[in-house]
Amino acid sequence: MTATVNGARVRLTDGVAPELARLLPEGICRTFRVMPYAVVDGTVLVAVADADDPITLQVVEERIDRPVQLVRHTTNEITDAIETVYPAVEGQIESSEERRGRVQMARMLTNSGLVTNDQLQMAMLEYSRTGDPLGDILVAHEAISEDVLVAALSEMYQMQRVGLSDFVPDMEIARRLPEPLAQSFQAIPVAATDDLVLLAVARPLDPEQAVAVEEALGSPFRQLLANRTELDQLIQRVHSAHYVEVSTVALLEARPEDSAHVVFTGGQKALGVCLLVAVVVCGVVWPMQTLIGVVAACSVLYLLVSFYKFQLTFRALGTHLEIDVTDQEIADLDERTLPVYTILVPLYKEAGVVRRLVQGINDLDYPRTRLDVKLLCEEDDTETIEMIRSLQLPPHFHLVVVPDALPKTKPKACNYGLQIATGDFCVIFDAEDRPDPDQLKKAYLAFQHVAGNVACVQAKLNHFNQDQNLLTAWFANEYSMHFELILPAMGAAGSPIPLGGTSNHFITSVLRELGAWDPFNVTEDADLGIRLHREGYRTAMIDSTTLEEANPNVPNWLRQRSRWIKGYFQTWLVHMRSPGALLRETGPRGFTSFNLTMANAFVLLLNPIFWGLTTLYVLTQWGFIRELFPGFVFYAASAMLFIGNFVFVYLNVAGSLQRGEFGITRTALLSPLYWGLMSWAAWKGAIQLFTNPFYWEKTEHGLDSGAH
Amino acid sequence: MTTYAAPVGAPEPVEDDVVSMKQRLSGIVQIVHQRPQDISKRRWESALVFFGFTGAYTWFGYWLVVQMHVVGFEPLDRLNRALMIWHNDPAKLSALGFDYPPLATLLISPLAIFPSVASSLAVVPVASAVFAGLTMMSLNTLARRCLVAAPLRYGVLIALALNPLVALYAASGARQFVWISFVVMAMGAVVAWYVTADVRFVMLAGLAYSIAALAGYTSILWFVLTAFMIGAILARLGARGPEVEGTTVGFSAPTVYVIALWTVFNLILLSHPFEWVTAARDAGGSGPGSFTGVELLQDTWWLVLYAAPLAIIALPALIFVGASRNNPLATWLGLLLAAAIVAPAGSVLLGLSDSPMQMRNALPILVFAVIGCLWLARSADGSNLIVSGVLIVLLLASIPWTFHWMKDYRYQNLEAPFAAAISTRQSQEGTTTVPGAKVGIADEQAMADYIKDNISEPNSILTDNSQTYAVMLLTGQPRLFFDRVDQSDGPWLAAAQDPAGVVDYMLMSTDTSQDLLSQMYPSATTGSDPRLSVVFSTDRYVLLTVPTTFDPTATTDQTITSSTDGSTEGAGQ
Repeated sequence: MTATVNGARVRLTDGVAPELARLLPEGICRTFRVMPYAVVDGTVLVAVADADDPITLQVVEERIDRPVQLVRHTTNEITDAIETVYPAVEGQIESSEERRGRVQMARMLTNSGLVTNDQLQMAMLEYSRTGDPLGDILVAHEAISEDVLVAALSEMYQMQRVGLSDFVPDMEIARRLPEPLAQSFQAIPVAATDDLVLLAVARPLDPEQAVAVEEALGSPFRQLLANRTELDQLIQRVHSAHYVEVSTVALLEARPEDSAHVVFTGGQKALGVCLLVAVVVCGVVWPMQTLIGVVAACSVLYLLVSFYKFQLTFRALGTHLEIDVTDQEIADLDERTLPVYTILVPLYKEAGVVRRLVQGINDLDYPRTRLDVKLLCEEDDTETIEMIRSLQLPPHFHLVVVPDALPKTKPKACNYGLQIATGDFCVIFDAEDRPDPDQLKKAYLAFQHVAGNVACVQAKLNHFNQDQNLLTAWFANEYSMHFELILPAMGAAGSPIPLGGTSNHFITSVLRELGAWDPFNVTEDADLGIRLHREGYRTAMIDSTTLEEANPNVPNWLRQRSRWIKGYFQTWLVHMRSPGALLRETGPRGFTSFNLTMANAFVLLLNPIFWGLTTLYVLTQWGFIRELFPGFVFYAASAMLFIGNFVFVYLNVAGSLQRGEFGITRTALLSPLYWGLMSWAAWKGAIQLFTNPFYWEKTEHGLDSGAH
Repeated sequence: MTTYAAPVGAPEPVEDDVVSMKQRLSGIVQIVHQRPQDISKRRWESALVFFGFTGAYTWFGYWLVVQMHVVGFEPLDRLNRALMIWHNDPAKLSALGFDYPPLATLLISPLAIFPSVASSLAVVPVASAVFAGLTMMSLNTLARRCLVAAPLRYGVLIALALNPLVALYAASGARQFVWISFVVMAMGAVVAWYVTADVRFVMLAGLAYSIAALAGYTSILWFVLTAFMIGAILARLGARGPEVEGTTVGFSAPTVYVIALWTVFNLILLSHPFEWVTAARDAGGSGPGSFTGVELLQDTWWLVLYAAPLAIIALPALIFVGASRNNPLATWLGLLLAAAIVAPAGSVLLGLSDSPMQMRNALPILVFAVIGCLWLARSADGSNLIVSGVLIVLLLASIPWTFHWMKDYRYQNLEAPFAAAISTRQSQEGTTTVPGAKVGIADEQAMADYIKDNISEPNSILTDNSQTYAVMLLTGQPRLFFDRVDQSDGPWLAAAQDPAGVVDYMLMSTDTSQDLLSQMYPSATTGSDPRLSVVFSTDRYVLLTVPTTFDPTATTDQTITSSTDGSTEGAGQ
């Protein structure tokens, strides 16, 4: 129950009761000019400047769980009280001019009936938290269109508008403003005379920006307000050739030694041939000893990889190794301090999931006005492009059409999107991903908690359709072990982490400095993780999950997995081009960890051979096989067969339990069958490494039973 | 979390049946994705307790074994098997055999990597002290989780460590503490799970039990009860079916796997899948004996009263606290303690023990009683200090009591010689145990010394390693012996029947009741077989030369038949 009075006995000037001072958050107090200050007969007295504003009334009522009485005060009285309770922080307080503009915008939109009271209240509340422009908030929430906002701004600033949807630019004029300035100021020349350039801008430039632009153009200019989406598309069109070139060859030119454009270097080929010749010669001269040596080497490799994995997972079982970010910290986060966050979403032939994707991103607990979502489409994927256009998304969604050029890979699309990213941080999500709503805030807070050299925060991945069939359950078991146990342990140990395909959050500037993703590597994420480490950066894990679609179809799964394994081989070959440099840059521990992690792909190749030998021996008791496993080789092989295999089965169980996925615990017990599929994919990937190294085996999405 | 209201006029939301992580986890009883409230890690303290007790027992064991000669044959047998794993000719994992739980030997095999270390008696106490140290370390962590203050915690550990029964089995190389240490570790994890609701502890408990199961089959009993306990507690807390099932599967899988694997091995190699249950034996076992039901009840009572009197107080206290304070863990710990008490009699009834009602059976009773009392201390809230103090007093009081009864308790192994060594500070070499076995290893040492000094040819001494293991161990050179593990029983029997040209010597036990070679050549054990001349002999062993002219048909026609299960019978004709 709320009542409004003009002259209460107790006034704000008598002082604010300490227990009431912070009853309402600072943003609410400043935005709505309210301040609770006393309790009389169980009723909270709230000082208010505009007691007739229904929005203010509702906001106050909803936030105080006791009877409230609004008491009219002067603006100065309330402002003074707010300043006392919440001392102003420079740069975070709305100036009177800004306030006037906000109020003018609100009145303009409400008076013309373009927004309802509910929409305005929602926007005001968000404004009270973020301090972002009211109009931008209304557009981001699709309460008004961008065109309406541009019209309102044009009225307020007395500026002309320009429509760019069907505009055909004169490239020479358009490129007069250098691309970095065009991107950062969101401005582009659209016409020019001898002494004046007409410049389309998203928002009026401030004086400093105006000086920079004039210097760059070399002539005076006049600003024309444009729709942000249309402007963004125009800038992309004008500079697409530059973006394509950078996204394709930047890493190759800057750091050719880090690029997978060549599968085997000359040195690697020579070494491989020498090794092969040596084995063949030894095989001819000492056939049995050579075979035993090969079996022993494989067994030792097996044992080392298994021991390393077990050690990592056992460590993770013993403690929580993720960066700790509590719900309370997230709740206490001052949204005014949040940076712009870029979300890169590569899409290919995924028109069917776009609507769901947009909803998922809008559901994120992050101010939409501080999101920079890049929907990265290939030029030939007209269906997805048209679908995105048809949705008429608000301007925080950016359709990015990547021109058709080889290699046509996800990393190239991401590199393209990264060039026009405006966020301080960026993250990749796949189209079908469902990140935890608070993931961006968690990642941002994690970056505040970790050491200065952490440039990447990896969230956990898992599946939403794990119950669809046995394959998806196994996939979920595997991911649970990998993301719940292995990666957190690697992160805590400071080892190089092969990043997961999505949900890796980066400091954008560091990512650019590193040359971003290698467009020639088919597991560009794993490669980037290693490159980060080599450059002295680290990756940390957070306890936040992105749910993906698990591949429910065996052929489709094999395509995906063979690509991953091929990429692991590529990554290993790239970084082992100069083992000495790798050792120097990563240290003995990092070097060992990298090799043992990548060796897992080799172990998958060996699995069927060892299983075949074991089966053959059990069935035939063939003495030749027994001779291959003398003494200690036999012990190592036996340990792997009887202990190692079970340990890995159990680690799948443990990962699922750790995750709270109790329903798929029993399927983990059958995971050796899944390993068979993995070995199949490994052989496919290994063969493809020689026959078609850069081919991107596209995974089909939307096969889950719910067809999300 | 901040939420954004759906704007008026926004597109209709897309229908989505995906269950978010938060929704998925909302109905779960256990803690997932949260940092549980738990004690802080204190690695230095754990290390200190571990190394402190391991060192103390090793030092005490050295005095007991090397100077007092209070040494059992079971640890020597296992150490010899461990030595054969690494240094036999050929080195074979099958030296583990099937009559001991495999991990009881495998876990001490690192001690045998260096033959000179393994052949020294000093390594014998280490084989048990390490595991006793682990036990104390786990108990210390458990006590910390039960909020027992440091001085009292250390008091409990020291009082328990000084218990003479504990000291004997922790310092003499016996295998009891191998499996007890993992059972205690598992129970520590279970208590941690109960306190924190963190599911990871269930997995750690499951892994610990899987090792315990193959280190001592008795632990399977507590594993089964603990599995029921976890399911029951979860169900009581309102967990749904999948959570109960998943957690129980996660707990049980390792132990079920190792048992299944061992059963399959038994099936493949011995053609009898449960041979490991029915044919388990102990070197120096006293024989099955026969008991009436009343005798079993009486002996159980004496066993608890003399060796683990703490259980008489702990058991009713746990049941009372469990029932009166709605404390299910107390009830279940009471049940586990009760199982420990009835287990010795149960194994007699099921015919699973070759050494029934032995005093050492009180060790798990004592340990479970201590775990129960620590939990009672935690459950006592404000009276934690009192309960912990009483526990120390009871443990200290039981020391002279148990020590007294060790001297002449009927079913025992080395308890009486141990008590005598403590009381008199004199070597027990040559004395006899209560069941009548001779104490000491002078014969073994003398024979081993002779072999080391005079024989160097690999596989030149034919011997039944199941009876001469102590000599083999003390030589540190199992490759000198052509034993039953080298090429399995078939070739060994062939060589035993016609050793000429295969070996140069035969080493046999003078006791013909078990040794296959002694059974084949009984007169040789006394030096009266004209074909085999005695090279060296002691009271227990005789070393004979095998001449190249040896005629197997000349004076003896003993026939040996060997079953595929590794046990061998001699049948005179």
